[in-house]
Amino acid sequence: MSTQPFFQALQNTQLAISIGQSNHLYGVLAQMFHIAGLILILAPLLVVNLRLLGAGLTNQPVTYLVKATNPLIWTGFVFISLSGFFMFSPSAALYYPNPAFWLKFQLLGLALILQFTLYRKVTRTETPNRSLATLTALASLLLWFGVAIAGRAIGYVAA
Amino acid sequence: MTSRDFLQQLQDSTLGVALSESIYMYPLVEGLHLISLVFSFGLILLIDLRLIGLFLPKAPVSEILNKLRPWLSGGFLVTFSTGFLLVFVNGPSLVNTWVFPLKLLLIVFAGLNAIWFEYKFGRHAKQWNGQTPKGAKVAGWVSLTTWSLVIVCGRLIPYMNGH
Repeated sequence: MSTQPFFQALQNTQLAISIGQSNHLYGVLAQMFHIAGLILILAPLLVVNLRLLGAGLTNQPVTYLVKATNPLIWTGFVFISLSGFFMFSPSAALYYPNPAFWLKFQLLGLALILQFTLYRKVTRTETPNRSLATLTALASLLLWFGVAIAGRAIGYVAA
Repeated sequence: MTSRDFLQQLQDSTLGVALSESIYMYPLVEGLHLISLVFSFGLILLIDLRLIGLFLPKAPVSEILNKLRPWLSGGFLVTFSTGFLLVFVNGPSLVNTWVFPLKLLLIVFAGLNAIWFEYKFGRHAKQWNGQTPKGAKVAGWVSLTTWSLVIVCGRLIPYMNGH
């Protein structure tokens, strides 16, 4: 099954239809949780990446920052993915032709790959390779903020 | 002059018209208003969580305040200035409902709380000896709650005022 029929099929599922027919207040609530998730993911990542760049909380060990920020990021991830599904599924076919939507998920894919490879590697030690840490932090900030910006653009380039 | 007249004047001003007529300016300004929240509200949130004792309990509050302050202030500068521009674009419809006036009121309240915290506790944070004073914890809770409500009100504006 190619992507477009898949989007259409998702939109036609009972779950997506029920979400679409639910009270609009839930839609507003989903928007709130999406912003809360954005803050809970990006603010902790900002603090860790600044630290990798030698700014911000420079007196704290990187491993301690990562340990303390993980619960916030995971909470944010639950918020943002559930609320995202809630907003996306009832109008999946509408998102299909939207270039900002695709850009967002391409950037998200890259951001996640970086998160579980280089980011994990340089935040596991107190003495990572300086230039590798800098490169990772810059790429991480660029990609994650890119996801947010592309996400915001979805509403403006609506087809 | 009523607030409605004032907002109308802003909307009709050269800046207001220019912002409304450009295809790119409004999305850019609104995007920056959202993204800069990570620096302003996001870092405030982390500081509040530290004051409450839920985040980085082993890191001294004085250090967190000092090291994050420049990033936080930079964030607020962008959030406030883009918000100011958005008022020019949105005009009198902002006072169609209570939600925008309430947001402004909450911002003032959150600001006063921050000033009170800084004056009473923040500037002596080096002498806390690892114990967060009760009042500072209260300020953390107040800040967390108020700023969250500011975000909620902000997100409600397009729903309530018909944009």
